[in-house]
Amino acid sequence: MEALPLTEPVLLILLSLAEQPRHGYSILKDVEEMSDGRVTLSTGTLYGALRRLLEDGWIERFKEEESSRGRQAYRLTPIGRRNLQLEASRLKHLSRVANLRVARKGF
Amino acid sequence: MLSLYRFLLYLYPAAYRYEYGEEMAGVFRELQAEVRSEKDGKRFWPRATFFLREFAGLLSGALHEHSRAITGSDFSFPSRRFTMRSEFRFPKATPILMAVILAGVILAIEKATAIEQSFPLAYPQQLPAIQPEHFTFLPAMAVIFLSAYAAAVIGWAVLFAMRRSGMHRLSEMPPTSGRN
Repeated sequence: MEALPLTEPVLLILLSLAEQPRHGYSILKDVEEMSDGRVTLSTGTLYGALRRLLEDGWIERFKEEESSRGRQAYRLTPIGRRNLQLEASRLKHLSRVANLRVARKGF
Repeated sequence: MLSLYRFLLYLYPAAYRYEYGEEMAGVFRELQAEVRSEKDGKRFWPRATFFLREFAGLLSGALHEHSRAITGSDFSFPSRRFTMRSEFRFPKATPILMAVILAGVILAIEKATAIEQSFPLAYPQQLPAIQPEHFTFLPAMAVIFLSAYAAAVIGWAVLFAMRRSGMHRLSEMPPTSGRN
């Protein structure tokens, strides 16, 4: 099961799906864009992570109706969204603490 | 390359391949088309990096899925744990890593022996003949693995005891001259 704190690739995949449902290729591109090209997932890594998130019920899979090819797309479930919010809060807190400590060190 | 990718998908467990194989191949096809259409897509390194990343991801994913099928839990290579944990701790994954390294070394020895045997010797009487039946792979690997594992456990226990006793901090203590 995916446990908090999440790894960076998993966090980026969830963030990508938080905005809108996406298919595999779109997730890869969005992750790359969000990380300014720093994180480039391979298809093997992406589908390994998607499989785990599906099994844990964080995301769900459905057939994209708009697409002529009927591709599979993924979206966040309420559990996934809640866990993502928890992780975002954790990171926010961590970031606040880090900023405070770094600023204090400056004096 | 797509054919090679599809072929390598057979490294995955059948159930996984059935569920995600086509989708993965579809995404790979799109990525490949994108790399080709990019400005530097015809240059060697960008393409090599792309294929290397994809095939490495595929192989590590297949290994991961097989280990999950065997053990029932998600195995992850412990490299990150090694860098994040204290050097005095003994990571649970160490035996797995040691087994993989030892298996690699023994396989290399086996291969080297086989290659050596395939060349005719100039003076065969000077060298003792290697008897392949005297060297069995699994027992040799088990003995080496157990010895290395025991040595590692003992080493770790010594370091752990030193850590618990605070011995490693002795150097940080101020000198006690002037007392007594």
